[in-house]
Amino acid sequence: MAPVMAMTAKVLFFGRLKELVGVGEDLFEVQEGTSISRIFAQYAERWPRLAEFRGSVAASRNREFAAWETPVEAGDEIGFLPPVSGG
Amino acid sequence: MCEDHFALTRERIDAPALVEHVRTAGDGAVVTFDGCVRNHSHGRRTLYLTYEAYEAMALDKMREIGAEAREKFAIDRVAMVHRLGRLEIGETSVFIAVSAAHRGAAFEACRWAIDTLKRTVPIWKKEFFEDGAVWADGELPPPPLAPAAGAAPPAKAAS
Repeated sequence: MAPVMAMTAKVLFFGRLKELVGVGEDLFEVQEGTSISRIFAQYAERWPRLAEFRGSVAASRNREFAAWETPVEAGDEIGFLPPVSGG
Repeated sequence: MCEDHFALTRERIDAPALVEHVRTAGDGAVVTFDGCVRNHSHGRRTLYLTYEAYEAMALDKMREIGAEAREKFAIDRVAMVHRLGRLEIGETSVFIAVSAAHRGAAFEACRWAIDTLKRTVPIWKKEFFEDGAVWADGELPPPPLAPAAGAAPPAKAAS
């Protein structure tokens, strides 16, 4: 399955987003020129309630907070993070 | 040289061990923060909490807080441990210990460390009440700068 893996990004959901989507981790087929924002939008097409949280979600790329327009490449780890509430 | 300690754990946090870990012969003060599970929230009785984390990123962010605290304050060592999973009322969810030659830096660094943890470390708390459960409101981390087209963001802000 290596060729398939090579074209995917790992997408992680946490907290209420994970409950909404039903899984904490998914593989997303990466297309040329895609961005974090576009990936979120595609998940929001499948789970429309995700869109309600767009304004309060932070995104990460490879374990660093990242801007929504950040390009995504195969092999990346993208996270969608609700407002943090540790402590 | 750097003897800081950062961890996520599903076991009880051993606070005295963390205090001992940061205390060295050169220190005049150890300041600690013990974050514990309160029995009420927004006027409702809390039964228990659960915490989950983006574990790899949370540890990275905790280490960054330690490194930045060192740059900002004249401190010796930092220990920072956050617990995950189910926690009962009164249990410690997060413990921070900071040692320094003088108390001022230790107080300031400990306060800054917990405030920064609560704002930037990807950990989430769910509160369980008698009539249901809610995710805590939480805080939105400061927005990152937009990347230059095609450029990977820098791996670490800390130098």
